Amino acid sequence: MTAALTIDGVGVAFAGVKAVDQVSMIVEEGELRVLLGANGAGKTTLMDLVSGKTKCSEGRIYLYDNEITNQEEHRIARAGIGRKFQIPSVFRELSVRRNLEVASCRNPRVFANLRFGLSPASRARLDEVSALTGLSEVADQIAGGLSHGQTQWLELGMLIVQDPKLLLLDEPTAGMTQAETHKTADIIKGLRGLHTILVVEHDMAFVREIAERITVMHLGRVLAEGDMAAIEANPDVRRAYLGSRGIMAGAA
Amino acid sequence: MRSRRSLDYAAYAVFILIIMLAPLVLEAFWLNRIAKFLVYGILGIAVALCWGYAGILNLGQGLFFGAGAYMIGMSLKLASATSLQQGSVKPVPDFMLWNAAPGAPTELCCINHASFLWIPFQWEGFGTFMGIALPAVIALLLGNVVFRKRVSGVFVSIITLALVLLVRLVVIDLQPITNGFNGLTDLGDFKAFGIDFDPYEVATYYLVAVVLALSLIGARMLVETRAGLILQATRDDLNRARYLGFDVPAYQTFFFVVSAIIAGLAGMLYVVVAQFVSPTFMDLSFSISMVVWAAVGGRGSLLGACIGAILVNIVAATVSDTPAFVEAWKAVLGLIFVLVVLFLPHGLAGFASDIGDRLTRRRDGESESQPQPVAAPGFVPTRGSTR
Repeated sequence: MTAALTIDGVGVAFAGVKAVDQVSMIVEEGELRVLLGANGAGKTTLMDLVSGKTKCSEGRIYLYDNEITNQEEHRIARAGIGRKFQIPSVFRELSVRRNLEVASCRNPRVFANLRFGLSPASRARLDEVSALTGLSEVADQIAGGLSHGQTQWLELGMLIVQDPKLLLLDEPTAGMTQAETHKTADIIKGLRGLHTILVVEHDMAFVREIAERITVMHLGRVLAEGDMAAIEANPDVRRAYLGSRGIMAGAA
Repeated sequence: MRSRRSLDYAAYAVFILIIMLAPLVLEAFWLNRIAKFLVYGILGIAVALCWGYAGILNLGQGLFFGAGAYMIGMSLKLASATSLQQGSVKPVPDFMLWNAAPGAPTELCCINHASFLWIPFQWEGFGTFMGIALPAVIALLLGNVVFRKRVSGVFVSIITLALVLLVRLVVIDLQPITNGFNGLTDLGDFKAFGIDFDPYEVATYYLVAVVLALSLIGARMLVETRAGLILQATRDDLNRARYLGFDVPAYQTFFFVVSAIIAGLAGMLYVVVAQFVSPTFMDLSFSISMVVWAAVGGRGSLLGACIGAILVNIVAATVSDTPAFVEAWKAVLGLIFVLVVLFLPHGLAGFASDIGDRLTRRRDGESESQPQPVAAPGFVPTRGSTR
């Protein structure tokens, strides 16, 4: 197996508080890794560090053999990391289809994009992704008018169109109904093996549905790593969450 | 969707046809007046490109207009009859002579400390080139600083606003080479392609009309490219565009420069038509007027903003001709702006496209008996809502 994402001892402090402290982890190619932890455990900050939103004060991050530590966000994105935000962000005044078209522009340079239309290959890919995310029917609608779930799927669709090596999904089911959550799980399961995926999630039902390997974070550090059963049995994890019926509280 | 677009293109074609045929019915005085308004129409395109498509509200568009105006103005000043009759074989602007130190040679090289800057403007081609190049360079530098530093929204407006006022002060202060408050008057005719563009001749009108048509079509084609699409994406969500791998400042700067070039062109044409250059081109009220024109016409539409600029000015000219409104027409303009913002947030263009939508829908409804696709739950039409 090759390591798709290697995080080597990264850390960052905000106003003296170590939000992420000496975190190291390796995500294998094609793996679907879930990042778990209470609020303030540093999950989103870790994603910020990987995607370049926040600069690391220590440590290194590699995408395959390519070091991406502290590069500009658009360069990291071009290196092959697609990020979905916690609050879904799409281009609200453009139609769904146009949103996907934006994502499908292969060359990021201004002058390379001074041409009309898309290649037939890109167009076929767009149709494929709209079908996968269930957005074919609303392709001509303005994205600002989509339901919450559809907006999330559109953002996910934009990332899939780009065919990134690594997908960072920050709470992809936040605010979704059960049916929507289930559909999201289906979409993500469909990507398994094609992309390496790192998901931050609180919804335990969802985590159970998709998780292979789980990394638990606590106060900016990695607390435990393993499959679902191992995590549930881990005494450190239980201790860290003592008093709140553990992190599995939401599972019931 | 397709019929919407062809309706759009039809509107462009009709508009261009109208401005091309207008000289058939206009007399010289109105021809000159309308040519001026067409120049404002070009400014409307520049504002719509920047504000509507890039989401950058530039409150200092007058800076680029002024830069274009001064550059060609310097050339036309040297081409005027009086500049050629100042006791030298080489032309010298009259205002430099009035203020020259006693005994100073009457040559551009050394009549005052900075007059040598005027030397290359003896060639009209240089003035014309600089009228495009200077706005472009200013926009490039400004864009690179502002957008790289991730300044956005109202702060860009404040910076551009401050900059245009600053440059205006500098221009007034550089009296020896700019003639300060008075600006450049008594200009020669612009000559190109072997034509003498007398401001009251049809040729001048057509010069403006053709540049307008080309700017309109060019800008429209530009926003139809993938780069234009990505630009609109950056307008809607800078971060999302950035995390899709686009170098957002590069897109913003590119279109900012294009908008500046169009404004610079407008500045040059204004000088050709009106035959004066004035620091008032860089007054705040002028830059804000441009924004109002674009808002009235619809900043989301290049054609809309262009027509908005022309219509508002026709109304303003008519109203200010009425003695009772000489002073009050600015209040009328303000009132129009308020009404548009309240009732037509997408301007006249939004209003027209709503009507167009309704018509095509009715026609589609008649030709096909199929029901309209039902909107998905939670779908709220956004057209007509304020941002």
